[in-house]
Amino acid sequence: MLKSKFTRYVFQKLGWYLLAFLIAVSLNFILPRLIPGNPVNVMINQLAVGGVQSDALARIYENYMREFGLDQPMHIQFISYFRNLFRGDLGTSFMLYPGKVSDLIKEALPWTIALQIPTILVGWILGNILGAVCAYKGGRFDAVVFTSALAVSNVPYYCLAIILLYGLAVHNPIFPVGGGYSFGNFPDLSFSFFLDALHHYTLPFLSMIVVAIGGQAIGMREMALYELTTDYVHYSKAMGLRDKKVVGYVFRNAMLPQITGLAISFGTMMGGALVTESVFSYPGIGSLLFTAIRQTDYPLIQGCTLIITIAVLLANFLVDIAYGFIDPRIRAAQLGER
Amino acid sequence: MLRSKRLLCLTLALVLIGLLGVGSAQAARLAREDTLYIAGHQWGPPTSFNPLGTGSVAWPINSKLYIYETLYAFNLATGNLEPILAEKNEWVENDMVFRVTLFPDTKWQDGEPLTAEDVRYTLEIGQRYPVSYAPWWNYVNEVKVIDARTIDVVLNPERPHRTMVLQDLGNIRILPKHIWKPIEDAGENIQNIANLEPVGSGPYKLLNYNPQQITLERDDNYWGLKYFGTPAPKYIAHPIFKSNDAGNLALERGQIDYSQNFVPEIWKMWEDKGVPVGTWYKDEPYYLPASTPSIYLNIHRPGLDNILVRRAIAYSIDYAKIAETAMSRYSIPARSSLLIPYGVPEQRYFNEDDVREYGWEYDPAKAVEILEKDLGAKKGADGIYVLPDGTRLGPWTAQCPYGWTDWMTSLEVVAASARAVGIDIRTEYPDAPVWTDSRNVGDFDIIMNTPAGGQGPALPWTRFREVLDDRGVPELGKPAYRNFNRYSNPRVPELLDKAAFTSDEAELAEIYQELDRIYMQDIPIIVLEYRPWEFYEFNETYWTGFPTEENPTAPPQHNLAGVKILYVIEPKK
Repeated sequence: MLKSKFTRYVFQKLGWYLLAFLIAVSLNFILPRLIPGNPVNVMINQLAVGGVQSDALARIYENYMREFGLDQPMHIQFISYFRNLFRGDLGTSFMLYPGKVSDLIKEALPWTIALQIPTILVGWILGNILGAVCAYKGGRFDAVVFTSALAVSNVPYYCLAIILLYGLAVHNPIFPVGGGYSFGNFPDLSFSFFLDALHHYTLPFLSMIVVAIGGQAIGMREMALYELTTDYVHYSKAMGLRDKKVVGYVFRNAMLPQITGLAISFGTMMGGALVTESVFSYPGIGSLLFTAIRQTDYPLIQGCTLIITIAVLLANFLVDIAYGFIDPRIRAAQLGER
Repeated sequence: MLRSKRLLCLTLALVLIGLLGVGSAQAARLAREDTLYIAGHQWGPPTSFNPLGTGSVAWPINSKLYIYETLYAFNLATGNLEPILAEKNEWVENDMVFRVTLFPDTKWQDGEPLTAEDVRYTLEIGQRYPVSYAPWWNYVNEVKVIDARTIDVVLNPERPHRTMVLQDLGNIRILPKHIWKPIEDAGENIQNIANLEPVGSGPYKLLNYNPQQITLERDDNYWGLKYFGTPAPKYIAHPIFKSNDAGNLALERGQIDYSQNFVPEIWKMWEDKGVPVGTWYKDEPYYLPASTPSIYLNIHRPGLDNILVRRAIAYSIDYAKIAETAMSRYSIPARSSLLIPYGVPEQRYFNEDDVREYGWEYDPAKAVEILEKDLGAKKGADGIYVLPDGTRLGPWTAQCPYGWTDWMTSLEVVAASARAVGIDIRTEYPDAPVWTDSRNVGDFDIIMNTPAGGQGPALPWTRFREVLDDRGVPELGKPAYRNFNRYSNPRVPELLDKAAFTSDEAELAEIYQELDRIYMQDIPIIVLEYRPWEFYEFNETYWTGFPTEENPTAPPQHNLAGVKILYVIEPKK
């Protein structure tokens, strides 16, 4: 009986998430098309600037309208979009024709993931540790660290990126000014390439992690402080439980909202750190999506937002399920014991 | 637990410090002295190396002659057609046939010989597909293969527009029939393939590409080695930057040798920072001009339909300020002519006397004089003039795409200048697709645009045509691709046709000057600035010998004849 109640819970959640997915995907289709302006015109412009004669442009325009299916009515485009989606075909980009959207995303995604996952994880771990220590120690340590964390977490991460670039790459050429790896290199699995990539990774990493640590520290400190004032803590201390044991329980409880935050960060990271990628010329999803929006490249916008949608929904879904295991109170509620 | 935390922090710090030292001592795969680094042609991941593609074709396929070659290449500095595949070309049979003779042993990178049949096949693609050179066939009747090395281009006797034939032919990259015909026969649309393993006839092959850079490797079996020499760089690499600033920083640091970016105030690099960066000219305007970004005035809207109002606007604009701020001194102040008066071959038609007599220049007092005396307009309480029939001079919006900062700055100067004399012009910066739509259908008051983007033997004819000719231009409301404000003048078509079909220099000068006078009298557009075709700047830290005006061993180009630069530079000793 235990299992079926839980599985019923899981399937119910799944149903809601599927509905959210369908709505999100429809919005992903409709919203870019509401942006005024015709995507084919962008391509025509580039050709005109290059010197292509106006007679050729008219024919090229008609050719592309047909090729991209933009001359079809909206509902037909919608239906073919959905059909292709369930076949796994994300379409062909307009501005990077004839590049396939799935290939473009596949190339850009590893860079975004490599840029963001370590940052998120390390920032989360270090930030939470710092926050917990602050709450636990209190006093002058807390005052100094908390104020600095407050200041640092409010620095826009792109400002920090430019400052670091100037200080550590331009004025004092310690780190490279951009790129995922040195220009003369080719990506392979050698150790020297790995070091080269790390060397290029340092500044982007630093620019994001400092802000992340600050933010996490503040959050964790608040939760920890709250927990430290709860009844069970006072009772345990009065009962003579060792500090270490009490702190262990406090952190476990304070951790819950932080885990949600972590999961959601993983979900939204697919959107890419746009400005970081722009400042450091990192070939990730953020700049791909941004350029796609500026050029109203519908298939590419839809592809990128699809990835983001799936990632966010998946992350939230997993957190919902995981909570059932982590927090006995929620498990109990789910099973109807409370 | 605290001790282990301290240990963790210490380890992380050590790792970071380690990266400082270790990272700076890696070996690059491509030796620096063998590689030429280029920037400014590619901003997104490369997805197509198809010369027939009209979408976003990757560097170097788009107009660079490193992999695919043309028959000859236009030299922007001299106006000559430099031989590439064609050793010689000449007009025969009363100038109605253009005979092209290939070099003796032209061949493809896969070893197959390149013959006249490949040339004919490539040219005839323009009859079957809407490629960029399809309109070339309006002027050409037939392409005949005389022998394995000779091709005859037979002009259409009704429209023998020789310079247009030369210009378009000079942009057609010759393709190997033995590779492309089978693709066509298999039923595929050759314009839509990605062509990720391009086989050309040029001195370089595609070595590698990914979202961060595109790399070429020299082909030591290149047929042209015995005629042109050996191009100096063994590798050419194009890193893909996400923004202009990143590319400019790399240029300054010597990581880029040869760039096409807009670098603001580039003279500061060598004057203030002592970096060995250079441009074509040592002083202003640093670059050769090629086109004329202008504002199109909607001559069908009340107020703007009055020639004198347009004249007043033309007198009010501070052209020197635009050249200084928007173009960062890379242009001379614009003159009142559709002809570019310096640097490029078309300057020979520019008539200073005509411009002084019929044209305009920055003179706000004269603008006010036109408004008050000639038009009889009265200044309203808000400082804006009103014509006697009640038409207020404004509010008119001047548009250009958002993000095109040099254009945005130019329009700000236009608006401020106009306001200073009492005309209400305001700026608006829609996104590029919206700007394109408004421009094409003619839904604008004032819109910024460049007529006739590139350069070639057919200039200035193409510019006059794009601005003044209304033949074939759909009416307002339907998208057009030139003459956006639908200007019409019955004298223009016959002048253009006469200019198209004659080769007599004296006659051409007369016709172009008459067209220019028509322009100055009717003022359908106002030229704001001169813009280079490609920005040409270099850093001589690793490669020296880049051509300049003082040392013109090759033209200041990346495209077409710019390939000759590879033969004159050498690694720095």
